[in-house]
Amino acid sequence: MSPLSSSLLNPRLSFSLKPLFLFSQSSFAPRKFQIPRQFVSAKRKTFSALASEQSSATDNGGRSGGGGRSGALSPSPVVEEVQRIDVNPPKGTRDFPPEDMRLRTWLFNHFREVSRLFGFEEVDYPVLESEVLFIRKAGEEIRDQLYCFEDRGNRRVALRPELTPSLARLVIQKGKSLSLPLKWFAIGQCWRYERMTRGRRREHYQWNMDILGLPEVTAEAELISSIVAFFKRIGITESDVGFKVSSRKVLQEVLRCYSVPENLFGKVCIIIDKIEKIPIDEIKRELNATGLSEEAIEELLQVLSIKSLTKLEEILGGAGEAVAELKELFSLAEKFGYSEWIQFDASVVRGLAYYTGIVFEGFDRQGKLRAICGGGRYDRLLSTFGGDDVPACGFGFGDAVIVELLKEKGLLPKLNLEVDNIVCALDYDLQGVAAEVATKLREKGQSVDLVLESKPLKWVFKRAARTNAQRLVLVGNTEWQKGMVGVKILSSGEQYEIKLDELE
Amino acid sequence: MSPLSSSLLNPRLSFSLKPLFLFSQSSFAPRKFQIPRQFVSAKRKTFSDLASEQSSATDNGGRSGRGGRSGALSPSPVVEEVQRIDVNPPKGTRDFPPEDMRLRTWLFNHFREVSRLFGFEEVDYPVLESEALFIRKAGEEIRDQLYCFEDRGNRRVALRPELTPSLARLVMQKGKSLSLPLKWFAIGQCWRYERMTRGRRREHYQWNMDILGLPEVTAEAELISSIVAFFKRIGMTESYVGFKVSSRKVLQEVLRCYSVPENLFGKVCIIIDKIEKIPIDEIKRELNATGLSEEAIEELLQVLSIKSLTKLEEILGGAGEAVADLKELFSLSEKFGYSEWIQFDASVVRGLAYYTGF
Repeated sequence: MSPLSSSLLNPRLSFSLKPLFLFSQSSFAPRKFQIPRQFVSAKRKTFSALASEQSSATDNGGRSGGGGRSGALSPSPVVEEVQRIDVNPPKGTRDFPPEDMRLRTWLFNHFREVSRLFGFEEVDYPVLESEVLFIRKAGEEIRDQLYCFEDRGNRRVALRPELTPSLARLVIQKGKSLSLPLKWFAIGQCWRYERMTRGRRREHYQWNMDILGLPEVTAEAELISSIVAFFKRIGITESDVGFKVSSRKVLQEVLRCYSVPENLFGKVCIIIDKIEKIPIDEIKRELNATGLSEEAIEELLQVLSIKSLTKLEEILGGAGEAVAELKELFSLAEKFGYSEWIQFDASVVRGLAYYTGIVFEGFDRQGKLRAICGGGRYDRLLSTFGGDDVPACGFGFGDAVIVELLKEKGLLPKLNLEVDNIVCALDYDLQGVAAEVATKLREKGQSVDLVLESKPLKWVFKRAARTNAQRLVLVGNTEWQKGMVGVKILSSGEQYEIKLDELE
Repeated sequence: MSPLSSSLLNPRLSFSLKPLFLFSQSSFAPRKFQIPRQFVSAKRKTFSDLASEQSSATDNGGRSGRGGRSGALSPSPVVEEVQRIDVNPPKGTRDFPPEDMRLRTWLFNHFREVSRLFGFEEVDYPVLESEALFIRKAGEEIRDQLYCFEDRGNRRVALRPELTPSLARLVMQKGKSLSLPLKWFAIGQCWRYERMTRGRRREHYQWNMDILGLPEVTAEAELISSIVAFFKRIGMTESYVGFKVSSRKVLQEVLRCYSVPENLFGKVCIIIDKIEKIPIDEIKRELNATGLSEEAIEELLQVLSIKSLTKLEEILGGAGEAVADLKELFSLSEKFGYSEWIQFDASVVRGLAYYTGF
């Protein structure tokens, strides 16, 4: 057995380096490339001289018994002074150690599977984009919190706050080569720069699904349908969540009655979106600042409080598009089988300037959480980038709120590491056979945790328990002489010997 | 059938809007929030006024037959002036339209599946890290090309050029809660800032597999085994690809004979790594600048040209770790069944300062 218990090798941490002791190089590691001539003219040592120096310096000599290397680490080629680094990820960002990664993978697999079931194709774009893609002067929060900077070439770039502008850019780039309607999805990390006093995240992952080339409300209906499908897959029902639906055209119609110019629509919507976040007087004041009259503001706020499509129709009349489209959507929701999941709510405008029609957001019925997802129609985005407009609608669904919701409902899956086999050689010379067993099992699609060091059986069992291994395959001299290996099924305790070529 | 054949609805592109015409707002859209009082005091129109205005403006009236919306789009709530944007992704980066994404997904699925078959667990870290994590003063190319910047809070951060320092950081963070050996993998995007005159990429995805807690050479053997498994899965054989293997300890042993201090090893390795990329005289010059004598340099370069482990053993003797480790690896590769894939080549040092063995 290789000696591994040198005090330098803490079983938990391979090194317990005390940076200050081992690496205090500052006395003889000048920062410049020149080293004192004394080193250069020192007498050249022979390799055997070196070897004996090493032997006396370590616990185990140059070599340990079994042919493996010595347990102690030889003084390393240390590269430089130690920098004490912060072991935490940058403020507002997350690491994903195995357990967190398993949850994320589980979630993303559901995103992908639903997208696949709905016939959407996956795409991706760079996380870094030109800042210009996100500069919309409508006063959106997304712009205030843009994570932008100058790159080494003095170009203004930004870590994307959302995926839709990149989609628009790629669609314009591809131009006529695309065949419509387009159904694309993406799962990408988005960033914002926010003052950390609020303890909020600076990055999150977002699942986006977009349909381009369809002006009909059936597109929005299909998108909401896909989110419903996703919720159902993970055990969330219409009693847990719902969708509030409205249309930007409602606001448009009210504002047009006051001849408010269209270029102000975006700004007005952004202000309205803050209704539940800042005091109503502040809202009124901001609306006034855009030039709206008191009368217009009053009417606007009244309309926004409407929670029934029938009432809306009374107010707006039946001739406008806002009511027609919303009625169409609710009718489709019946046909698509999810009318219990959606409700009209005129106060929903969403915080992005570019929505032009139906908008919706997923909410938690208990009212404890922020919006789970949000989306809508954005028929005019491409032209703002210099391209030809294409009718478009889509949604974004973040990875944070949904996890909080699942926790609330006790629906978080228990995901443990699970390995099919642990394979272990009981004798050092059988390492090769163990590797052969591992290879054979892996070729059959079974996962194998191959034990790569000499360990007592007790240790192997502990590891098997930790990794929820289904079975243990042991390669020992006695069995191997008969061409066999030992197998133990860990759940039942059953054990047997079997010929290597019969091992399944 | 809903009327869709308005000339405004090109089946390929729904609109052909001429930005200059529709959006030349500059005449009446001042940048400030104030709008001319004239709009504010205009007589309020009724919704039916509006509806008739809309009907006459569009081809199909407010509604189309089936209750769907009219084919033409009503004048939109335009958000602002048009910015002509560059439709290409930033220099050196890539978009992944569906066909490219399919290939990437296929590749990553193989990475993941091999990792799973070898019992490795997936992890991930932020693509943005503190710059300090990557500042190693060994002169590595990775450092010269670090994609660093100051964030809005004046902190020096960088888009990671590699995944290993993040792994180290996370392992340190987790401390004693981790049970060794650790077998972790990650697939993450890494960045570099390079002058674009060379037409090279600024980002790529990298599959990493790491084993922590095992000093034995069996760990390296297992890692190489996993890559062989990956190659086989995608149809590559040992006649197309191979692995050149050496050990930093070879260089260490040579340099120690010349009492070169250990803190210079990293730098020397980085210089050596450039052997096939810059002229040999340049290499010699850089080595000289680190303080190595002509004699040391000559011996180093000679050793680096060795392509046979037997020859290496003759030169270095059998007592050092370099030869022992390498012999062990080659022996394991026989047992693991991939000896046809690997060969000894002393010139392989790799370009990262922190390697201590293979």
